[in-house]
Amino acid sequence: MLLIFKHITLLKRSFIAFIISVIFALIPLNSLGKEPNSNWLKTFYPNHYKVQFAGGIGFLSAGFGYDFFNNRVDLSYFYGYVPQWHSEEDLHSVSLQISGKPFKLDLTHKVKYYPLNIGIFIHHTFGEEYYLTLPDHYPEDYYWWYPGRTGGLFIEGQLNYRYKKPDQNFSEIGFYYRIVTRGVYLTSKFSNSSIPLEDIFSLGLGIVIYY
Amino acid sequence: MKKYLTALIFGILIYSCDDVFEYSPYAIDFEDHETNLTLKNISKLSSLSVSDTLTIALTGDSHRFYDEIEDMVAKINTEYNIDFLIHTGDFTDYGIPKQYHWSNMLFSELNAPYFVVVGNHDLVSNGEDSYQEMFGDFNFSFIYSSFKFIFMNTNSREFEFNGNVPEINWLKQEIKPDDNFEKAIVVFHAPPYDGDFDPALKEEFMNTLHENDNVLFVTHGHLHSFNLSQPYSDGIPFLNTASAEKNKFVLVKIFENEFKVDVINF
Repeated sequence: MLLIFKHITLLKRSFIAFIISVIFALIPLNSLGKEPNSNWLKTFYPNHYKVQFAGGIGFLSAGFGYDFFNNRVDLSYFYGYVPQWHSEEDLHSVSLQISGKPFKLDLTHKVKYYPLNIGIFIHHTFGEEYYLTLPDHYPEDYYWWYPGRTGGLFIEGQLNYRYKKPDQNFSEIGFYYRIVTRGVYLTSKFSNSSIPLEDIFSLGLGIVIYY
Repeated sequence: MKKYLTALIFGILIYSCDDVFEYSPYAIDFEDHETNLTLKNISKLSSLSVSDTLTIALTGDSHRFYDEIEDMVAKINTEYNIDFLIHTGDFTDYGIPKQYHWSNMLFSELNAPYFVVVGNHDLVSNGEDSYQEMFGDFNFSFIYSSFKFIFMNTNSREFEFNGNVPEINWLKQEIKPDDNFEKAIVVFHAPPYDGDFDPALKEEFMNTLHENDNVLFVTHGHLHSFNLSQPYSDGIPFLNTASAEKNKFVLVKIFENEFKVDVINF
């Protein structure tokens, strides 16, 4: 019973986080009736919002995040959902990812291309069977991994298009594609030549809107 | 309009390349040839011609030793004419769909059918669903030649020692003598003397094995090292299969209710 309760609260937490990000997205700063600069809330406003298809973190994922160092470092938080028709049961999860964008090409004054972004992510699936600490019916250290937490790496390309003046809200949109692998797949491949290389990689596609 | 149509077609195209997208490490999306394997392999057995001597390969605890599985399968295919292979559980390491997929990819290269009893590692996360999708029921049996092979889930700890694993009543029914078989061979993952086997059911389990005095031997995994002994000194031999990790597998030949065990290195 306690576990079910824990499961629900975890799920709630992810929903709340997601809903908060949507609210942030829907209220333009001006409508708060204050100058954006004087609004302390502005610091906490996400710099971007993302929607992603596949990429190992959900059938569809929605997220928000922050950009640092002149858009060279991206920190994003996703809520991901896998509907039942792609699995035995619905899957809810959250993931946190950080990526670096070492290369930037200014194709025109409106179009930028980041050809090789590199990122890492951790991914938590909600549910009693995806635990983060070993349940009580196991002796200590019985299993050395926790199914609730997985992680991996990705490389990514991203094309940005600015369709409004930079000082306006939602002035820039980007499309990205990424190749993803997970730690458990990588280690399997490293120690086994019998695993086909293409089996450890998968693809993700996404849209990002800059606030 | 054309633009939207192109986008739609492109979208459908991408979506149909199912293999290149992963939605979650726990999304179970096996292809047809990866499902319902226990029944499929049982029906393969019925088309085999049974000889006087049965030859069965035994392995287990293959976890993530994929290269070892590949070598073992190649060795069996080239040098031995087996009736079928028995895997005594821990077919996967973390119970995730990808590991089920990889292990099956390698074992399905065998020229002979193979049967897997569920191990504790196979049940972690949503492994329970993956096992049932790929193989079928945890408890199953079939008769081949004059022998009944009984596979059962003994991973009590994974079910929080709920008193229903192993299912003793099911075993009682299965092991009851009838005209179709002479001897029974019982296959499971965790042996009764292990801490993962429900201590409350241990005695009843052993009593059930003795009930009709018709068990030729039992075989299990979990402990990774080959061993053939009678832990209860009661006439029931326990055959612990070797993990693929040890570059060994076990070959059992059964002839006229006697059995002979060989350990093969690869």
